[in-house]
Amino acid sequence: MAIALGIDLGTTNSCAAVATPTGVEFVLGSRAERIHPSVVAFPASGGVVVGADAKRYRLTEPGNVIHSAKRFIGQNIRAPLVQLALTGIRYKVVEGPNQQPIVAVRDRRMTMPEISSHVLQYLKRCAERQLGTAIADAVVTVPANFTDAQRTATKEAGRLAGLNVTRLINEPTAAALAYGFGRNKDQLITVFDFGGGTFDVSILKIDGEVFEVLASDGDFFLGGDDLDRALAEVLAAECTRVLHFDPRPNAVLMMKLMMGAEAIKCHLSDNDAAEGEIDGIDLPNGQVGSLSFSLTRLQFEELINGYINRTIEVTRQVLAQANLPASAISDILCVGGSTRIPAVRQRLAEVFLRQPNVSINPDEVVAQGAAIQAGSLSGSITAGTGMGARDAVLTDAHSPLIYGGGKPQTALVRPVLLDVNPSTLAIQTTGGFAEKLLDKNAPIPIERSRVFTTARDNQTRVEIDCCRGESRRYAENEPLGKLVLEELPAKPRGDLKIEVSFRVDADGILHVAASDVDSGQKQEAVLHVIGAPTGDIA
Amino acid sequence: MNARLDVLMWAQRINGNKKLPPHQLLAVPANADMETAQAAFHKIARMAHPDLHRNGLTAAELELVTSAYATIANAYQSCRNQAMATARMKPIDKAPGVPAPATPSGAAPIQAGPQSAMSSRALVYYRKAELCLKRGDLRGAMLQLKMAIGTDPSSTFLRAALIEVESEARKAP
Repeated sequence: MAIALGIDLGTTNSCAAVATPTGVEFVLGSRAERIHPSVVAFPASGGVVVGADAKRYRLTEPGNVIHSAKRFIGQNIRAPLVQLALTGIRYKVVEGPNQQPIVAVRDRRMTMPEISSHVLQYLKRCAERQLGTAIADAVVTVPANFTDAQRTATKEAGRLAGLNVTRLINEPTAAALAYGFGRNKDQLITVFDFGGGTFDVSILKIDGEVFEVLASDGDFFLGGDDLDRALAEVLAAECTRVLHFDPRPNAVLMMKLMMGAEAIKCHLSDNDAAEGEIDGIDLPNGQVGSLSFSLTRLQFEELINGYINRTIEVTRQVLAQANLPASAISDILCVGGSTRIPAVRQRLAEVFLRQPNVSINPDEVVAQGAAIQAGSLSGSITAGTGMGARDAVLTDAHSPLIYGGGKPQTALVRPVLLDVNPSTLAIQTTGGFAEKLLDKNAPIPIERSRVFTTARDNQTRVEIDCCRGESRRYAENEPLGKLVLEELPAKPRGDLKIEVSFRVDADGILHVAASDVDSGQKQEAVLHVIGAPTGDIA
Repeated sequence: MNARLDVLMWAQRINGNKKLPPHQLLAVPANADMETAQAAFHKIARMAHPDLHRNGLTAAELELVTSAYATIANAYQSCRNQAMATARMKPIDKAPGVPAPATPSGAAPIQAGPQSAMSSRALVYYRKAELCLKRGDLRGAMLQLKMAIGTDPSSTFLRAALIEVESEARKAP
């Protein structure tokens, strides 16, 4: 029986697991760690270093350490938010063909999928060493609001790593699967996924083995990194005040402050105040100084209040999209490291009037769900009971899974994931309007076709511009790409009928096809996606 | 391989009738509410979701099933949109698809002394809610209770009261 890997490919950390006969087994690194930093280093001494070892180069060679690649994968480098995110990194990113971001490190130029593929390859190698068998298949998780291009690029990363990505599933959905699979309960839950780089909220209905996402939304550029950066800015200001110089132009120093900020943030999750010193600060006069700080939890909460407000605002929007009152939700899952912040949990409790569920391990539950889905897709899980979320925290001792070889004890049960389309998909029509084809939050896989016609007489060429976004005006939405139909029969305007069909597959990737209704001649055309990797980098 | 034949026959039937109105594809009444549409869709998903047939079908057969399933997904979305539009015209507490919240065990009955169970600021809203209840204005009472909970989110007393009023409102015609 082929073993398939479940991978949570995160912005800051990644985690991988397999569903084995003894439950979910996590892939361990060289120091038996379950969490692997999504960091790839290309040290001056040569070679490629991934994971915890790569992190060590942050202070010595900040320009050669690639982190947060997930923020740029499948993105258009000219997008304003991408430009903003670029200000927060210390390695060099340049514009490549098709407006895709390209990492330039030392003498190498690499696409973002290539960077991510190093992380995936590392996890694959660790898993193969641990299980003593080759692994070909994997399920990789992505943020629920990942776009088409980002999903395609993530699949590409898997391919480059030598993995056959059997499915991309959304992170909140994976968490819900790990939580609810085998519990056989009917309930409505909210998954609040506040990770290192992204933020997602999903509302799911669990109906036995069916997991239906009712609504999902998020903010792609909001995560623990932003909180660290906000705190690092405060430390930088403190540095200017006390040590009389501005550390911000100094990459190494800012990295040190970011690391300090992260440590302070984590400390304040368990303590009311953080006091201490950041050592080893190189002063302009050549000496080495230290910066002392003292921060209370209240001060920190005030600092990050704006970010938390944003997450709560999105949560309320998602409830409204699902057309549900907060009181209908019977459990709130906290996923992602940033949900450890007490203020986040408290604000969630205020929205839902109940304490969020903190018994699951926020760092591991997504990989666990991915592993269950991977096992299910490869056919190795035939029946399941009681794969409770608590297993993610406790031991891997008891086995809720029965393997393909054995006789199923209960009726054949495999989870059915009904995920959703992350954003409204539309095409441009006359007058610059966006004609909606597929709704946000519609279940996937989904297919819909509409018939359109020509606007001019004897028009033989039609361009179909596709976009994503909620605006009625095409120009205000994010363009996805263009489909061109040529050599159409010349007819008076309005006579030619063109059927455009949109299909979003179970990975959340859009496929567009168009055909001339009367002749029935199908003009399959490939959507040209802006920002997607093109394979060659000049 | 009964399941395999069943799903292929089903897919063929759906693919041949793609132009039918959404509710007929989903096999629900024309003005079906959210719960009915959802139950019908889940039933189909349990039987025909393409993921369940990845290993048993050829690529061409799987494409047939996927296409049929994707058509049904679109029909479900249409039915759901319609049900949601209908539900919006009714008051929210009577909207279909909202299961009754479970009453927490050991919740205080609404008549128990409220002074000790909440902060003084919340008590102001609670008194207003009581006045609304006397007038028979359930929705007003719910609003005031929600305001009270907003002021004092830790009070289980207030939450129990809100749940009680909400269930009253559901029973009312």
